[in-house]
Amino acid sequence: MKLQRGKFLVDPPASASSDIAFILIIFFLVCAAVQPETGIAQILPKTEEKTDKRDQSKNIEVSITPSSIVLNGSPLKLPEFSRRLTSALSRKTRDADRIVTVKSSPDTPYPIWIKVSQAIERAGGIITLELESDRVISVE
Amino acid sequence: MKLPRKKMTASIPSAAMGDIGFLLLIFFVILARAQDDSHVRWQPAKLKEVEMVASPLASVTIDTGFKTYLDGKTISTDELAGALSQILGDAPAGKRYVFLKVHKEAKATHFEPVIAAISEAGGDLVHILEAENISSTQ
Repeated sequence: MKLQRGKFLVDPPASASSDIAFILIIFFLVCAAVQPETGIAQILPKTEEKTDKRDQSKNIEVSITPSSIVLNGSPLKLPEFSRRLTSALSRKTRDADRIVTVKSSPDTPYPIWIKVSQAIERAGGIITLELESDRVISVE
Repeated sequence: MKLPRKKMTASIPSAAMGDIGFLLLIFFVILARAQDDSHVRWQPAKLKEVEMVASPLASVTIDTGFKTYLDGKTISTDELAGALSQILGDAPAGKRYVFLKVHKEAKATHFEPVIAAISEAGGDLVHILEAENISSTQ
């Protein structure tokens, strides 16, 4: 004789479903809010007022405008700029010789500036920003 | 005749303990985000090969209207260096991280004075950027 097994149906309480949904919403909101951020780090020594023009003629000079990147007077595209800068800096061993003075026109967009800045760092240069107010920032 | 009063027992259902603990955990996670600048509208610039960055002591943002914010509060670039110095205090070099979030349409006139202020405060500058898709560059 076959015994009939009793059915145990356990329904989750319907009143709890709104609590569960609420907790899930909060959980996913928090997960979305605490996503890790990405970027690039730059070490900035303290800003100094430029009082003298020491060794400026020896430094590599880069001018950035919205439409061009000028390396020591020659306008270049970014890949060519990277190649020439890497080649120019590879011959220099002292930190003082690897200083690259960057002067941006006031309307230079941030994406272009950050790409040039990254290219200079990758080439082994030490960025020095020349601001309009004659303040100089060194960026390693 | 004295009627016996019925004893009322109020017990906290132990099944709810997990939910309560979970909600408290989320509450403290949100509170721990002291530098909440999520209300500031900005779009990051894209760059190849970005890295994960450590948590900052302060966060400076230039929003879509090119206004400067320090930890979510509006600030002028003249006041920024002083305010940052106070926040960074005596933190050792290499741990004085300051996040710089610049809206992708900002120009040098907007972001260079901010970089100068971070430099003046002795902050370790971290540009917050979005990783560029290799496929989108081709």
